[in-house]
Amino acid sequence: MAKSRVRNNIRKLRFHCSEMTQQQLSEKVGVTRQTIIAIEGDKYSPSLEVAFRIARAFGVPLEDAFHYESEDQGAQE
Amino acid sequence: MNLSYREKSIWGSLITTLVVYGYYFTAVFSAARPSQVDRTALVRLMTAVFVIVMIEVIYHTVIALTSKVEPKDERDILIEGKAYRNAYFLLVGDLFMLMGMIILVGMTPFLTVNLMLFSVVISEILKSLTQLFLYRRVV
Repeated sequence: MAKSRVRNNIRKLRFHCSEMTQQQLSEKVGVTRQTIIAIEGDKYSPSLEVAFRIARAFGVPLEDAFHYESEDQGAQE
Repeated sequence: MNLSYREKSIWGSLITTLVVYGYYFTAVFSAARPSQVDRTALVRLMTAVFVIVMIEVIYHTVIALTSKVEPKDERDILIEGKAYRNAYFLLVGDLFMLMGMIILVGMTPFLTVNLMLFSVVISEILKSLTQLFLYRRVV
């Protein structure tokens, strides 16, 4: 399966939120810790609803938490 | 390996299925007359079902008490859906093969039922393996 082109800044945002743990984030968002790990590792693209809940957990707009990599960016990597 | 509640649950079901049905099908297919229904065969089938239910209940009670039970989220449902899809294709393939065997070879109802049960068990094993793979590797 192709790796998701949805990128995220969750690791950075957790760091800026007093080192929020993946467990704490998963409880805030209402998903399992394994799902947070998969999203953070760009292995799983969350639904729009979960993406919004993650952004809301950090108090930032959706675009600060997630962005969609263009084909050019993907090819450069 | 750090396993989630759901992975522990799947591993438990998979191992139980492999051991109990492995024993059951070995006994059925190695019997002198595997196509004949007798009291022993029926008792064996009922015992296998009973043992599976008991082990599953005890095992799931234990992991529910010792692990953090997490409700299914969207990723669990997605993985489950992919696992059911794989299991469904295998089951349909098995059933068509079985229908062919019934028409071409002709089988007793007891053997047919056991082969159908075997197909269901194999599909269930594939479903569990798909889930375990996807939890660790991809999605």
